[in-house]
Amino acid sequence: MKKSVVWKLLALMALASMLVTACSGGAKPAATEAPASKKVTSTGYECPEPNPRVQVTSKELNLFVWTEYIPPDVQECFELVYGIKVNRDEYSANEEMYAKLSAGGTSYDLVQPTDYIVSLMVRQGLLQKLDKSKLTVMGNFDPNYLNLSFDPGNEYTIPYQAGTDAIVYNADKVKDPPKSWSDLWKPEYAGKMVFLDDSRATIGMVLLTLGYDVNTKDPAQLDQAKAKLKELVPGIKLFDSDSPKTALIAGDVDLGMTWTGEAFLAQQENPAITYVYPTEGAILWQDNYAIPKDAPHLDAAYAWLNYTMQGDLFWMMLRDFPYTNPNKAALDFAKTNHKDLYDAYMNSPITNTPAEDIKNGHRIDDVGDALPLYDQIWTEIKGGQ
Amino acid sequence: MNPHRRSPFILIATILVYFFLYAPIFVLVIYSFNSSRANVQFDGFISSYGDLQIVNGDVTQSPCGPFHWFCELSKNREVINAAKNTLTIAFTATIISTIVGTMAALALQRYDFKLKAFSQVSLYIPIVIPEIVMGIGILTLFSQLFSLLNNWLNLAGDARMTMGLFTVILSHIAFMIPFVTLVVQARLQGFDKSYEEAAMDLGANEWTTFQRVTFPMILPGVLSGALLAFTLSLDDFVITFFTNGPGSTTLPIYVYGLLRRIITPQVNALSTVWISIVFIAVLLLQWIQSREK
Amino acid sequence: MLRRLREDKSIQGTFLITPTLVFMVGLLIIPLILTTIVSFGHRSADGGVIYAFSFDNYLRLIGYSTQCDNGASVCFDPLYAQIMWRSFSLAFNTTVLVILLAYPLAYFIARAHPIRRNTFLFLVLIPLWTNFVIRVYAWMMLLRKEGVINIVFGWIAGMLHIPFTPLEMLYTPGAVLVGMVYEFLPFMILPIYTSLEKIDNSLYEAAADLGANPFRTFLRVTLPLSMPGVVAGTILVFIPVMGTFIVSDLLGGRQVILVGNLIQRQFLDARDPTFGSAASLILMVLTLIVTYFYTRKFGFGEEIVV
Repeated sequence: MKKSVVWKLLALMALASMLVTACSGGAKPAATEAPASKKVTSTGYECPEPNPRVQVTSKELNLFVWTEYIPPDVQECFELVYGIKVNRDEYSANEEMYAKLSAGGTSYDLVQPTDYIVSLMVRQGLLQKLDKSKLTVMGNFDPNYLNLSFDPGNEYTIPYQAGTDAIVYNADKVKDPPKSWSDLWKPEYAGKMVFLDDSRATIGMVLLTLGYDVNTKDPAQLDQAKAKLKELVPGIKLFDSDSPKTALIAGDVDLGMTWTGEAFLAQQENPAITYVYPTEGAILWQDNYAIPKDAPHLDAAYAWLNYTMQGDLFWMMLRDFPYTNPNKAALDFAKTNHKDLYDAYMNSPITNTPAEDIKNGHRIDDVGDALPLYDQIWTEIKGGQ
Repeated sequence: MNPHRRSPFILIATILVYFFLYAPIFVLVIYSFNSSRANVQFDGFISSYGDLQIVNGDVTQSPCGPFHWFCELSKNREVINAAKNTLTIAFTATIISTIVGTMAALALQRYDFKLKAFSQVSLYIPIVIPEIVMGIGILTLFSQLFSLLNNWLNLAGDARMTMGLFTVILSHIAFMIPFVTLVVQARLQGFDKSYEEAAMDLGANEWTTFQRVTFPMILPGVLSGALLAFTLSLDDFVITFFTNGPGSTTLPIYVYGLLRRIITPQVNALSTVWISIVFIAVLLLQWIQSREK
Repeated sequence: MLRRLREDKSIQGTFLITPTLVFMVGLLIIPLILTTIVSFGHRSADGGVIYAFSFDNYLRLIGYSTQCDNGASVCFDPLYAQIMWRSFSLAFNTTVLVILLAYPLAYFIARAHPIRRNTFLFLVLIPLWTNFVIRVYAWMMLLRKEGVINIVFGWIAGMLHIPFTPLEMLYTPGAVLVGMVYEFLPFMILPIYTSLEKIDNSLYEAAADLGANPFRTFLRVTLPLSMPGVVAGTILVFIPVMGTFIVSDLLGGRQVILVGNLIQRQFLDARDPTFGSAASLILMVLTLIVTYFYTRKFGFGEEIVV
């Protein structure tokens, strides 16, 4: 290639990158533009006042959160109201978050660990204790989601969203629907199932069919679970912990194991898709907010927690994400101001899990040195063919 | 000329392979106009302009009409920020690794020095090492280094050294150097030294010879190496995930995370935009070249 | 000092290689040494490392097992060997298919009009500049039961009035192979093109003059001279395929664990960095051995890309 052509190509690329950079300039929220009384986001949403408004000196906030788990309006309101720049890094698996945090060198102010990894993070000294005096939002939560086994007294975490892992099936295609985890071993379902690509959840489910604890460390029980799972695996069309609803909607599978959000979205696309809590008990999970040990902007972190979890902002979770909402204040706000959302939420057994099913449910917890046993089983059933 | 170079077999095979290469791209572009939000099946184009209306998970009406997802994309700050970061990292890392890699290729191909064998072997490591090992390894290294430096220099709060754009660029350079070196080395191998010798005979010193004779002759190799390196950087996920910090998210990380949670046609729209930019650039290049001939 | 730099060849060489060495040693060799040290350790209860000098992880990888079915104290557990073999086969099959598909295209471009060559090459590269994962998702859209390919076949069958049940293409080993071939095809096209482009036309004329038919010309002239490109392309394809797992995850339904998955899982889900490090080192050593013998037999990739 001739030299002059090369320079032209480089110039073109530089031009392209400059264009992209210029584009981003237009999309930034104008923090100083709105009058002091009312802040409005780019979608036209009027931001509520922080109640109470806390004193913040930090100029930035570093979030390390699940992908697509915070309504854009919520983040924008926080930035407008407090004038703090929010940097959001995302992860799509707890293990990724844990690996990064435990290696050190990071400077995040908030993370969103799921229940089972909290005790591990606490043991490893990765989280700091919450200063309850700074948390005005504690009263917003439904007590059923507080003081749970993985964080007694909520010393390190506050609830964010919750849900279950249970059975899902397409009522149009499955004539004799399953009612329990053990039903899934029926020969007529073979080749039509999707399961979670999560060793703890799936092996846990098998343990439940054998009457054992999902958090067992007993090698003999795990061996039995392995044998039983090996019977099931040939009938599993795919494992998916990213987006199991896709295969359901597309008709590649007819039933299987999935979680709250996926089932709800699948049902929206195809009303025949049904979520059922198995008789042995569903698996309960909860995502929480926690503050890493060396958070550089503590005051901003508390400001974020107190503001974004106010009822008049947190109700947006009902609108944007179909999970169970532990925030009573948000539900009350929705009841008065967004009745249709509230009704849809309460009427769906997916988001509004019936009380007996919660009682009947099992929560996954860290199993310490028994973890390699679970992983070994997983490797064997997937690797030894 | 080989009289049989226009063999029909070759032509048919070529067309089929190009078709194979572009079939998924074609699907990607079409789906970026998909009215279905879940983007699992193609539910048709969004036909009406107007206020946003969503019926049963399908967008039936939008202010931007069929270009709904492109509009959403332009409002998406995260994506634009990620794109900016990705390009910054790719350009910076490519330029530095190209320079360093070319120097290394010259060194390995033309000089003898003590650490030659060691250098040659070490250049193979980034090619064979699993990305997660490299990612976690570099992260561990940097975090130990930073905690040492932070303590020694008494840095605190925002002044503390942490992972960020800088660490990502360094890691990218590390895995790009071997590719550049390999490519330039290859170009140097068949190199005819007589041109250089002629230049030196005519009185040019080593630097001028390099500038006027050597470099232009290896330029195609250097550019190919740079292109390869740039391509690798654009798509890197694992290493970038572990070595980045707040605010330095890149497109692959953003897209991968998005695809694992909610797949909307917005992601397709992003690809379509990207491809269009590149296509236009290539066409322009072609036009410029044909004008020069 | 600058004068010494100008005159002493060995110092010049050292000067040129220094930045590279800084990067390689700093960002690669040191982590690699760390990885090696960790691989000899034991996993602590919470997934950390207990430093020791033990071969347990390596023994486990080669199949040494004390949990035997028939009551013996020591037996062979083929699990990890199977995983390694499966990855190797996939990489091998992918490489062979990629060579078969890449060669005609590379040949075509090499023999095309010089001005258009760059365009053809760019056309090969452009798909690479979309995102890797998105491309795999596009294949899912093509291959699923109600995907594009089945829809098209359905139309055709409808027009010809043939009964048609949608093909189950997704979540099969075939889908994984197709995906792998697709992803790595451009990395073979470019090196082969480079080698072919360098072949002097006079060689073809000479062969024709000597009475060789096109097939013999190809076998005796073209193929041997393009081997360096094939070798280079093989390195660029085989090694990454051994380590890639996204394709097998998405297109294969995560039913099968390859070496890449295994290593990834050890560091993330299983939180056993000692075993993961050992597996990584074994993978790297095996890959280097295979590469070494391959390049010895077929010649080092003299021309890799242009």
